[in-house]
Amino acid sequence: MSAGPYNYSYIFKYIIIGDMGVGKSCLLHQFTEKKFMSDCPHTIGVEFGTRIIEVAGQKIKLQIWDTAGQERFRAVTRSYYRGAAGALMVYDITRRSTYNHLSSWLTDTRNLTNPSTVIFLIGNKCDLEGQRDVTYEEAKQFADENGLMFVEASAKTGQNVEEAFLETARKIYQSIQDGRLDLNAAESGVQHKPSQPGRNTLSSDQQFNKDNCAC
Amino acid sequence: MEDNQEEVLEIFTQDGVLITTAPATYIHYLNNVGTLLIVEYPNSNLTRCIEWKPLDLTIDSDVQDQEWTVVSTVERRRTYSGSLPVDVNRSKHLKINMNDIKSFRVSHKNQKLTFRDGKGDNVCSFIFQHGNCDGLIAVLKGILKTIVSRRDKHVYCILDDIKNPERQQLDKSFAELNLFQEQSSAYVWKFVKNFPNRPYEATMEAFSKITDIVYRGPEHRLMDSEVHNILHRSLEAIENNTTTHSHDEYELIAHVPRLPALKEYPRGRPLSFEQWKALQDSEGQVEDVEAVKLVIFRGGISSNVRKEVWKYLLDYYRWKCSHAEQQNLIKQRNEEYFIMKLQWRSMTKIQEDNFTDYRERKSLIEKDVNRTDRTLDYFAGDNNPNLQVLYDILMTYAMYNFDLGYVQGMSDLLSPILYLMNNEVEAFWCFVGFMNKVSSNFDMDQAGMKEQLQHLHTLTAFYDPEFANYLYKHDSANMFFCFRWLLVWFKRELSQQDVMRLWEVLWTDLPCQNFHLLICVAILDTEKNILMENNYGFTEILKHINDLSGNIDISTVISKAEGMYNQIVDAEHLTDAVRLIIGLPILGNTSIVDSKEASPDISDLTTNGDTDEVSYENALTHSFL
Repeated sequence: MSAGPYNYSYIFKYIIIGDMGVGKSCLLHQFTEKKFMSDCPHTIGVEFGTRIIEVAGQKIKLQIWDTAGQERFRAVTRSYYRGAAGALMVYDITRRSTYNHLSSWLTDTRNLTNPSTVIFLIGNKCDLEGQRDVTYEEAKQFADENGLMFVEASAKTGQNVEEAFLETARKIYQSIQDGRLDLNAAESGVQHKPSQPGRNTLSSDQQFNKDNCAC
Repeated sequence: MEDNQEEVLEIFTQDGVLITTAPATYIHYLNNVGTLLIVEYPNSNLTRCIEWKPLDLTIDSDVQDQEWTVVSTVERRRTYSGSLPVDVNRSKHLKINMNDIKSFRVSHKNQKLTFRDGKGDNVCSFIFQHGNCDGLIAVLKGILKTIVSRRDKHVYCILDDIKNPERQQLDKSFAELNLFQEQSSAYVWKFVKNFPNRPYEATMEAFSKITDIVYRGPEHRLMDSEVHNILHRSLEAIENNTTTHSHDEYELIAHVPRLPALKEYPRGRPLSFEQWKALQDSEGQVEDVEAVKLVIFRGGISSNVRKEVWKYLLDYYRWKCSHAEQQNLIKQRNEEYFIMKLQWRSMTKIQEDNFTDYRERKSLIEKDVNRTDRTLDYFAGDNNPNLQVLYDILMTYAMYNFDLGYVQGMSDLLSPILYLMNNEVEAFWCFVGFMNKVSSNFDMDQAGMKEQLQHLHTLTAFYDPEFANYLYKHDSANMFFCFRWLLVWFKRELSQQDVMRLWEVLWTDLPCQNFHLLICVAILDTEKNILMENNYGFTEILKHINDLSGNIDISTVISKAEGMYNQIVDAEHLTDAVRLIIGLPILGNTSIVDSKEASPDISDLTTNGDTDEVSYENALTHSFL
């Protein structure tokens, strides 16, 4: 709680989805706490994590929704997609079934979010090379075909975790600047905090407007 | 009262009566079981009193003893009349003069009786643990003039004693006005009904009638008791339940259904080893199951006897079985368990390779077992043998109930049971008992969870329309923020000890079915100010509720939920939708209070069963898609 309530200019809503046991909560924990939690209990319903990051000199608060993975709870978790600016879709590189289910996760994401939502595919547990069940190449191809960003990561070692979350934020921020993401839309998944006097958030507004004009 | 030397006529007595509400002087008797009496003191103007005495006043000082004697020595004694020598302890009895009681209400399948005073406040309530209060009602009807309330057929209004001089005076002054000549009760009822809708017109109409009478002089002087009663009650109702809205010319008085005040229900002491043993006969059978459940509901179970009692609560042991029958049952259950366990243990590699469903199920269980309560000593550390037992039980349950299989949350429900039983077979059968109570939580289509969330919304809307309205306006009428609470019965919100306490209380099914929903309502009621003052929306509400984990004082919550339950059942505007949820018989009518047309701003807040359901359905469709 080092940051004050308005110590950031934007809030981006993320959602983490994927089969149960692929490491969604561990990725979140690694990102927010920079620690691996081996006995992290399975998520019931939905849980939250937040962290403030910086993109292009702007403080951005990531509000990350971590969901239960079991098929049975999809009816409930579907209600949490609404208004997500970023969706992290996770599978486990050591379990092919979790990879095979990606198309259904992708369908849900496309149907329940807006077209400008950034979808990032994460192949988790890449530290377990010996148990690999899904190759990097086929996943990369799947990502390219569907226009997704993609990395393999490890919640255990922390490899590529930071990158995935930050890259998603950069992409969202870029969408705002390009004007592709309408901040006024109710379900953009981005909230722009009103700037306070004396803060430098004003410049982002100016920049934002200028960029808008340039389009 | 100076009654020690007096003659006392006991008109009625009944044992096994629990007192749940009492005047402040007698507060120490609350939640004790004793004898209820209706007595008459012939020497002091035929004063009649309701009296109640604890089971045995001679051991009253030794409360510890009393608790278990209460349940073990109760006889079903019921006397309808008899003159007895004065009990020397009579002065210690709870005593309420019958003249102070103006109505009484019967509830809980005639097992609860509440006496009220002229202001409609509850003076005392009693729960009849053996049988019901039908006998007492018959006696009361015999000695008092009563009529059934028009607004609530469970309420009997006591018509005032005609001999009362004060009352006679008042009656006379009303009668002289002679408002009520022809179809007098119909006229008065019309006036009372019209008043909230058209206060100005209705009043003027009535006054013009009075003026008529004053000028023309009285002819009839009798006012029938029904009219008297309607007037009496309507005035009472208007005093208690009105809010006024200032308009330009006059004040509009609208009827807002209000709940009775929230009363305190202090928690009791847990069921002790001694109490438990005293409740069993020499054969080990438990005679008075309801008495056991009542003690558990009030205070839970002591840790030294919890393991045994849970087996009964979770239907592994039978209450009415002798030791021999029990042993037989245990043997059968043992064999049954190992047969089922063998079914999956004997699966060959090839079988498994050709059985995708089974493989997936197995992998789900493996995953969750390894992350269930690992911070507790019992499950901590690598290669902890208890994890293997947890796994074996869940796998065997998947064979026992193949349609349901394994669903996330089940390991949470099993963990405290296994920890307590520390025995594979016993834990399995107790888990089966628990699952039988909550299996709809794990429905494939989540219908059970949706229904519970909807019921929770209905209860919230009834208890606190303003808060329900807030939730509706903040995209939260679907109550999703309570999902985790309901799915695993607060397992993720409470410590191991607290969750065991809560579960055993809920397993008693007292004071009503779905009491766990009232636990939710109680916690939400505590948090609602924070939610509303901060103007929290869907996300913030969800986050705030999630973050309550570890900060819930379960004793306070249970006690509050019990208070709320009593407020709800005593509410005059209790709807069928709510009755259905808490398991009361439905009346077949909708909300009695009909204030919507009178005041749109309030009708926005008040929700009856129908509109409530519609708004919830809307919220659901919006979310579930």
